[in-house]
Order: sequence, then C-alpha cells, then structure tokens
Amino acid sequence: MKVNIKINDRNYSIEIEPGEMLLETLRKLGYKGVKHACSTASCGACTVQIDGKPVLSCSTFTAAVDGHEVKTVEGFSNEGVLSEIQKAILEEGASQCGFCIPGLVVTAEALLKENPDPNQEEIIEYLKGNLCRCTGYESQTRAIMKAAKARRER
Amino acid sequence: MLNIKEYVKPDTVQSAYEIGQVPNSLYVSGGLMVSQIKSERLERLIDLKSLDLDYIREEEEYFKIGANTKLSSLISHPSFSSLGEDFVKKSIKEIGSVQIRNMATVGGSIAFRLGWSDVITIFMTIGSQVEIYNGKFQKMDLEDFISQKIKGAIITEITVPKIEGKCIFEKFAKSNFDIATLNLGLRVSLDGNFIKEARIVAGSRPMISQRIREVEEFVTGKEIDKISDEASKLIQKVIQTGTDLRASAEYRKALSGSLLSKALRRVTQ
Amino acid sequence: MSRVLTKEKLNVVNTPVEKVDGKALVRGKPVFTDDFDLPNALTVKILRSPHAHAIIKSIDTSAAMIEGVACILTYKDVPHVIYTRAGQGYPEPSPYDTFILDKKVRYVGDAVAIIAAENENIAERAMKLIKVDYEILPAVLDYEHAQDPDAPVIHNEPEISGAYDPKHNIASHYEMEIGNVEEELKKCDYTVDEVYYTPNQSHAMMETHAAISYFDPNGRLTVITSTQVPFHARRILNRLFGVNCRVIKPRIGGGFGGKQALHVEPYVVAVTLKTGRPAKCVYTREETMTASNTRHAMRFRVRAGAMKDGTLKAIELWGLSNTGAYGEHALTVFMVAGSKTLPLYNKVKAVKFGGDVVYSNTEPAGAFRGYGAPQGMFALDSALDELARKIGMDPITFKLKNSIREGETSPIFKIMGEGREGVEQIIRSCKIEECAIEGAKIFNWYEKIKKPRIDMKNKIAHGYGVAFAMQGSSIPAIDMGGATLKMNDDGTFNLLVGATDLGTGSDTILAQIAAEVLHTTVDKITVYSSDTDITPFDKGAYASSTTYVSGNAVKSAAEKMKKEILKAASELFEKPVELLDLEEDKVVCEDGRSISFSELQTKLFYTFNQRQLEVTESFVSEVAPPPYLVSFAEVEIDMETGKVKVVDFLNYIDCGVTINPVLARGQVEGASAQGIGMALFEDHIMDRNGRLITDDFFTYKIPARGDIGKIEVRFAKSYEPTGPFGAKSVSEIGLDTPGPAIANAIYDALGIRMRRLPIRSEELFFEIRKKYG
Ligand SMILES: Cc1cc2nc3c(=O)[nH]c(=O)nc-3n(C[C@H](O)[C@H](O)[C@H](O)COP(=O)(O)OP(=O)(O)OC[C@H]3O[C@@H](n4cnc5c(N)ncnc54)[C@H](O)[C@@H]3O)c2cc1C
Ligand code: FES
Ligand code: FES
Repeated sequence: MKVNIKINDRNYSIEIEPGEMLLETLRKLGYKGVKHACSTASCGACTVQIDGKPVLSCSTFTAAVDGHEVKTVEGFSNEGVLSEIQKAILEEGASQCGFCIPGLVVTAEALLKENPDPNQEEIIEYLKGNLCRCTGYESQTRAIMKAAKARRER
Repeated sequence: MLNIKEYVKPDTVQSAYEIGQVPNSLYVSGGLMVSQIKSERLERLIDLKSLDLDYIREEEEYFKIGANTKLSSLISHPSFSSLGEDFVKKSIKEIGSVQIRNMATVGGSIAFRLGWSDVITIFMTIGSQVEIYNGKFQKMDLEDFISQKIKGAIITEITVPKIEGKCIFEKFAKSNFDIATLNLGLRVSLDGNFIKEARIVAGSRPMISQRIREVEEFVTGKEIDKISDEASKLIQKVIQTGTDLRASAEYRKALSGSLLSKALRRVTQ
Repeated sequence: MSRVLTKEKLNVVNTPVEKVDGKALVRGKPVFTDDFDLPNALTVKILRSPHAHAIIKSIDTSAAMIEGVACILTYKDVPHVIYTRAGQGYPEPSPYDTFILDKKVRYVGDAVAIIAAENENIAERAMKLIKVDYEILPAVLDYEHAQDPDAPVIHNEPEISGAYDPKHNIASHYEMEIGNVEEELKKCDYTVDEVYYTPNQSHAMMETHAAISYFDPNGRLTVITSTQVPFHARRILNRLFGVNCRVIKPRIGGGFGGKQALHVEPYVVAVTLKTGRPAKCVYTREETMTASNTRHAMRFRVRAGAMKDGTLKAIELWGLSNTGAYGEHALTVFMVAGSKTLPLYNKVKAVKFGGDVVYSNTEPAGAFRGYGAPQGMFALDSALDELARKIGMDPITFKLKNSIREGETSPIFKIMGEGREGVEQIIRSCKIEECAIEGAKIFNWYEKIKKPRIDMKNKIAHGYGVAFAMQGSSIPAIDMGGATLKMNDDGTFNLLVGATDLGTGSDTILAQIAAEVLHTTVDKITVYSSDTDITPFDKGAYASSTTYVSGNAVKSAAEKMKKEILKAASELFEKPVELLDLEEDKVVCEDGRSISFSELQTKLFYTFNQRQLEVTESFVSEVAPPPYLVSFAEVEIDMETGKVKVVDFLNYIDCGVTINPVLARGQVEGASAQGIGMALFEDHIMDRNGRLITDDFFTYKIPARGDIGKIEVRFAKSYEPTGPFGAKSVSEIGLDTPGPAIANAIYDALGIRMRRLPIRSEELFFEIRKKYG
C-alpha cells in the first residue's frame, strides 16, 4: 500500500507492506539512527517523534502514520553543529556505547520543548522509558540538566 | 512486521464493525499490543483512528472520553486530570512511559482486558461506563464489560461521573518502568472521620481487576484512621490471587493488605 | 571534579576529553553492524531447540526449501570441528566441547539449523517448515543436581577435550590451600560458616549480537561483527572452516563480556562459504537473552575465622559454578572468584579455595564484567560482614585492618593465574585506606549508623552497608596488545590498535595517551581500532586490560615515534637529538629554530631523506596491578512490601591516575548500576522444561531510570608506576561491591541476612513478617 509521510521535513510517498512497522520503514529509507533493541516496546531505543510527540517506532504501524510528520535523531542533527542536548551528552560522558543515545536525544528534545526547566525528578520521569545499560543514568541526567540550561540561555 | 494482507481505515463506526465481522480481522487503535501479536492467521487490521473518537468532553455531571483518546491526553486535560483530587493525573503517570502513554488509547487498554492493566483498575475506581457498538450502541458498567467477551464489539466511549471524594492509586512493581505485580484503587467519601462510601478495586492479581466488595462494606460507616489494620487483614483473606513469574499468590495477598493500608493512610495525610 | 596530582606534568591525560567517536554516536550515524546494508545480502535465522536435552533423530528440510530460501544448513552440512566459543588467549583454558551445529542439543535455544533467505519473512516461514524429530533426554536444569548419581551425562561426545570429568558433568575443577584452614579455624575466637548464592545474569547490552560476512571484490572473506575479540574470532573461524578471513569490528553497542565469545560469526560465514553471497544475522532480543551467554551462577560456602581483636586468621571459599550447556570460560571465571578476591585479605594465616564447575542443560555461561569476582566477593564480603558483627566490630574497621597495603604481596598472585599458575607481584599502588576512611567521611558513615534504623509508624527501615573489592589489570604474561602510529604530512597521526572499544571509550583514552607523549591534541590523532587486516594484534577487550595493556603499547609506540621524529629533525637541523624537543605539534631546537610535524613529514615525503615515519610496539603485562574500591550503600526498605531501594551508593576507588576522569567515572557508575541490577532486579526464571521465561526486557528488568537513587564516584590520589601515566584498570571493579554492600545494608537495617542474589522483595517480605510480625 502507498503512504505519504513527512520525515525530517522531507516528503515521502512510499510503497509499504500493510503490516510493516515504522522502525523497519525508517531504517529501509536510511534513517539508521532509529535503533532496534527489543521487540516488546520496553527500551525506547527506537523512539521517534510523530507530530512532535515521542513514540516507539518498533510498535507503530507505518500505515497508521500516513499523513503525519515523523522526526528521527537525524532530524535533530544539523551537519556540523550539535544540538545543546548532543553537546551536553558528549561533555558529561553520557554516551558510552551510544546505542541508546538516538532514542534519548529524540525523547529529551520533546521534554525540553514541553518543559524548558525540568528538575531532576521530571527528567527521570520523562525519560524512564529509555533504558541504558552502560551509564547507570547519572551522567545522562546531568547532561539533560545542562542542556536545558544552555537552551534557556540561548 | 505482521504478515497481513490489508490495513484499512474506515471512517464510520458501522463500517468498521462490519469489517470487524470478517474472520481474521482485528481492530487497532494505539497498536502497542497489536504489534506484539504473533498470529499467523491474522489478515486484516482495522485502524479506528478515523472514527473521530479522540476527545474528552466535559458535561455537567460526566466526562465523556472517546475510545481513541491517548493516555497522555488524560493527563494533560485540565479538569479531567484533577478528578478525585488529582487522581487521574497521578495514577495515569504510573503507566508505562511517556512514549507508551503517547501511543496507548483508553479504548485499546480496556478492550484488551489485560489482567495487569492499571487503566482498568483506575477507571473502575472512578466508576466508569463503557459505550460499545455491537450492531447498535449500548452502554454498560466497565465492571460488566470486562467480565464478558463481546465478540467484535467496538468500544466507542467511556463515561466517567464527576465523583466526589478522594481517590488513591497504589501500584507495586519491581521497577519504575514495569507493570504492576499488584495494583489497587481506593475511593472514599468521608463524613468527618467516617467513611460514607467506599470503593476498592484490585488488579494484576494477576487476574483482571475486581472490586473487593466485602472490604468496601466492612469499612463503610467506620472511622478511617482506625480501620487500616483490620481492613488490611480482611482484604488478604478475601482477595483471590494467583502465581506467575512476578509473584506468588501468597505474596500478592500480602501486598493487597499493604497497598490498602497505604492507601487508607494517604487519604488522611 | 578535581584533577588528581601525579608525578608527571600532563596536558591531555587526566583531562575530560570528549569521546573521539562521540559525535557520530549522538547524531545516530550508521556505525553499528546492523546499520550496514550490503547489496544482495541474505538474511540468516537460526532454528533453535525447544528441548533442554535431546538428540536429533532426523531432520528434514525439504519442505522448507521454499522460493527465496538460499540454503538451510544442519549439522550434516557444516564442518564437524570441536572448539570453544570463548575468545581467550591461545591455547584456551576452556574445554573444547562445542560444534557449530551438533546432532545433540543441550539447552532450550541450542542451534539446530541455519536458514538463509532473501528476506526475514521468508526465512521465518521456512524455519517453521523444517521437520525435526527429537529423542528427548532427561535434563539437568538445576546445577546443584548436576553431579547426582543418576544425572544424565551432557557431554558424551568422544571429541571433547580439556574438560575435567565430563562423565560426571564436571567441566572444570580447581583447588588450592595455603597453610591449614582447618587448624587455624579451631584457634579462632569467632567463626562463620555460611552458604551464598549469586545468580545467572544477562548482559542485556542494548545492541544484540550481530554479524555480516561477505567476499570482498578480491575474494577475501570478510566478517563485520559486534565482538570484543576480533583477533580471537579470526583465529577460531580459521580453525572451524579452514579459511583465512578479515574481521572488522565496527562500533559496538555494549558487550560487558557477552561479546567475548563467538555467537553469530560461524553461522554467517557458513552461509557465505556455501552460497558465495553476503550474509547478515542479527539476533533478536529473545535470542540474545536465551541463546547467547550469561554470568555463571555460583554457590559458595564460606568459612572464616578471626580473633577477638579483629585479626582475620583463615578463609575458605568452596564453590560450585554453573557453566550451563558449554564450558566457555568455565575454569577461568571460577578461579577469578578466588584470585581477585582473596589477595585483598592477604594477612590471613591460612586460605583455601576450590570447587567444581558443572555442566547443566541451561544457557551457556560466559564472561561477564567482573568475571567471577562479583560472585566470589558477594560470598566473601558478606561473610566478613557477618564475622565483624559477631565480633562486635565496625565492618569498615574490620575489613580495613585485614586488607592489603602498598609494598605487600599475597602468595595467591603466584599460585592462581588464568587457568594456570600466575605471577608474583608486589603491590606498588594501594590506597584502600584513603578509600575506606575518606569514603566513610563523605558518606557520613559514623553519623548515619548512630541513627535509629526502623520507623515503625511509616513502616520504613534504613540501613547502611560497606563492601571492599579488588580486581586486576590484565592477565599477566598472557595478554598482549600492539599499537602502530603513522605520521601524516598534515601533521596528524593515525593510531592503529587492535584494542576493542565496545563503548568504554578506549579509543579516546588511547588517543589521549598518544597525544600526551607526542605533544599534540586528540583531534590530531585518528584512531583505527580492530580490523584484523590493518591494525596490529590485540587480545581484545576483557580482563580490565585495555587501559593497562593497550595503553602501555600505545605509550611505547608514541615514545618510539617521538624518537623517530626527533631523529628526522636532527638530520634536518644538523643538530644532535639532545638539543631538540617536541612542543605543541612541532619540533623545537635549542637555537630557536622549529619545524611543525606537518612540514617535517612533507619534507620526508618529497624532498629530504625520504621516508614514512611509522612505528609499531607491543606490550605484554608482567603484573596485573589491582584497582581497589570501597563502596557504601544506603538502602530504604518498605517493610510492608519488602521492596528495597538503593538511595545512595558511594564508590571510592583507587584506579591509579584516571586517563579520562569523565569516562572513568562513567565506567564506575555503569558498573554500579549493573551490580545493583544483579543484586535486586535481574532474575532468570525458567519453566519446568528449562525454557527461560524472563526472555525480554518486559520480564527481565534491568534497572530503569529512577530505580536507583544516587550513585557517586570519588577517585583516590594514586599512581601506579607500571601503568601508562600511572593508570590502572577501572571498568570491572564497580560490579563487585553492590551485591555485598546492599545485603550488608539490609542486615544493618533489619537484622535479616540475605544470602542469595537477587534479593527478591517477596523473600525479604516474608522474612520481615517472620521477624517483625
Ligand atoms: C512496555 C509496555 C508497558 C506497559 N505498561 C503498562 C502499565 O504500566 N500499566 C498499564 O495499565 N498498561 C501498560 N501497558 C499497556 C498499555 O497501556 C495499553 O493498555 C496497551 O498498549 C493497549 O492499548 P493500545 O491503544 O495500544 O491498544 P491496541 O494494541 O491498539 O489494541 C489492543 C487490543 O484491543 C483491541 N481494540 C483496540 N481498540 C479497540 C476499541 N476501540 N474497541 C474494541 N477493541 C479495541 C485490539 O483489537 C486489540 O485486541 C504497557 C504496554 C507496554 C507495551
Ligand atoms: S526497540 Fe522499540 S522499545 Fe525497544
Ligand atoms: S550508552 Fe550504551 S546503552 Fe546507553
């Protein structure tokens, strides 16, 4: 079947299988920043934004996204310039293997848009669907706090 | 990927229902659970998104919630989220994660009749009615709805009365991002210190949510700060629980007592 | 974070340089195995056994050869070569007891057939059409019954070698004794004799196992794989298939020891060899959970004794370890449970360690961060805590009094090595006193323990626990790492290392080490790691060895490069080398002249004494200087439910000089979280048939954000003379302390001793009910 989806500000008109998941569609189109780490909607690595809201692409039917707007980590990465969130993640050592990071970036972008000045509990609550096995989360919380501050001062 | 032949998006409840009668079809709203299904026989998904069922309407005595409303919209709706002294806001936030709540719908959560559902416990606590389409529109108590399997019916709307009193939701889970080992909803209206009316619902027993009427009756008319211990003992005696990978039946019984006394304490705090 | 004072003036080392691969990772660039799409590639899937122990009577693939299936391989179609999947130095201390595919299956999940098809859908459909007739055998599901007289024999294949007593399901056995424990215990005023259990634990790295294989345009077999051990992988693949190949390690989405073994590689290589086509296999989460490897579950009986004044006299650790269906890392992980715990208490008169590592019909165990030390330390530290309480001594005082100091040694270093004898070593850096004393101050230990523990009104209890640990840095006299440095005419360097960055940041710290020596900056060092055709050999990322071994190799390569640069400059300036030095990307001469690295290499390319400056150096460790750690835990226990929350976890660590303080802190924080996961969250639950039911992230709960209160890390001022710029290892040790520190804290809170991990709220709840009603 055919669907029209806007991905990172680019319009796509594509042929898909009716039972295809958004994760598969995006990776096929080359958006490899969308990661697959579980198959039970339990880890957040595949998070993308649909119409500005973070959702799990591994559990979203592509057919359901027809006519909507999708944003992946690639859409938050202008060549050459890192976002405040990406910069803070690097500075705080909040990315080790980096596999959870694209999902984290996409979710944290939504958090800071909704709540530009989150406290520690709010960060943890908003990001609790994003598992990370490497960092123990401490550095990631520090990074988001730091990024929020940088964004407010922008 | 699900190996299906068709993904359809009907725009009336009637046509969705008709397609729903074709064998090997399944409705999909949030899709979180449908995407986990590993059925070979499934041929058709019927997306309910185009039915215009994404709304929260406030009326004089009721809130009317469209079946396709996302759990996250329940939290962000100013007056509905504060129902039961912020009960809705606080309890719905204990479900899944931001991503899950942006996807899961009220209708899908109820229709799936998950034993461990917090959504069902929460909506039973505030006393909800379910409107279904079954060839015709029909309304029933949520409690009745979950106790029967109405094949092919579509949930269209949930009606929630503007209840009085305070509601408390208690969820015991191993992790912050986990389903309940046991959950419990409590609603009480007080007359001074005395309990005028009470509703107690326990879910993830691991069987589906259930009102615990014996305990409701027991606490009614009693002083709230004096009955915690006895109520806790009673619920452990009467509640039916089972064993699964998360906990034993015995532990769940004990948890029901603990969660009830926590909830009773929180009412007065 | 304050910078640590060291004996050298440092510019790049000991600074929080950002990760060299970081920018690509935060942008989501395609850098992981599954991100590479090869044209015409086949998708590979594995049919797995539903039985814990069975013989394949017949297997019929004819119905499965549907359109789009390229090949289906069974045990009849792949080389019948016995080997071990463990990626270890050669010859491996693990038994050879595994085939790529075998006629016998030994756990639920064991591989039965390899299916290669045009896409995943077809592969999955074909998989269901394969008909297998199994003869089901009785199985050993509980490793404590592996040695029962009527237990079925799991490894009866005639080809097996290197296993201790396979007829009785014993993969390995070890024992040693120094002094006479029995006699010493008799003289002690206080003794403990208890049994402790640690569980299987899944690595749960976010990236599942994955590999791709293909013939490059020149016909060379190439394997891209998410591995910690590319050079061992190449060696083993050659042994299995008799074919030379090139192994490339891209970025790795976490390994933690789980990728110190072959998983997917033989399957894709078998398909490429058979079909000539590229083949890709990416494990599902369920496969990674059920059919890769886990931490060895262990049981230890600890006997220990001390005098009234707190002098520890004797320790015995007698264990049983579950290696599952295959004996990967069986002996070595078990030995580390003793060799990297017992030397910490080197003052005892007698010490004994030993036991069996047994086969069972469960998922194979393998390497997992800590490599036995978390298992051994849970038993040992818990027992010492019990002993301290019996004596009536503060556990910090007791453990500190008996622990090792700088300038001392332990006979165990020599007796116990990696599956064989070890090497003697004198401890040259050990700041365990600072860790314990300063840590206690920061944690407010002595104020906290004055507070009441139980708040009966709110039914909440608080408790405080402390645990001590040591680890090693590399496997001495075995681990080797090489490094090559090449200078370019733009003044940059290529650093080629076999070392395997699996998310730990080793590429970054190795670049820091090179930049420090060469008076340049990290952005001028381009690191290429782990491509067996291009980079020098390295044993791989395990045994806490990368900073120490690979770091030392890089340091000597950089020092040699420095000499080469000075020599070339001295020829150019016609001045003796002694009058020259390096300074900010250039060579400066005493007479005021200078030449940049870029100008120098350009001259060397085109006009003057033409040559390429390039050096290769190797390093083999002679010792394995241990890092030390003292961790303090505060737990909050809900007495109504038995739920334990770690509210504060302080690590005070001596890892020598931190090459990169931010990355070092991240290693400790991450290890703490995994240790807390092992202590409280992560549970392997099997059904009656031996199928793991906690086989995904929905049921196997690794700690989520918010599950752990605060994890803090402090570094002791320490300098290890044998390490690169004074560094020791840091990545594993953090996993050793959470288990005992939490169990000790629970005891402190409630007087209830939990001797089995994970500590389930259900079990604790019923203990609380028993004691407090
Ligand atoms: C990782 C994870 C964690 C979760 N955690 C929690 C938690 O903590 N607490 C909790 O309560 N829940 C939790 N959930 C469940 C979640 O809240 C939803 O209940 C679930 O996702 C179903 O909602 P959905 O809209 O996605 O339904 P779908 O997947 O679209 O549908 C579910 C079922 O309902 C049927 N259906 C859908 N809509 C209708 C309708 N209008 N009428 C009739 N039938 C319909 C479908 O045919 C299907 O059988 C979790 C889910 C996941 C994946
Ligand atoms: S891959 Fe989507 S939540 Fe894990
Ligand atoms: S950085 Fe590895 S999973 Fe988060």
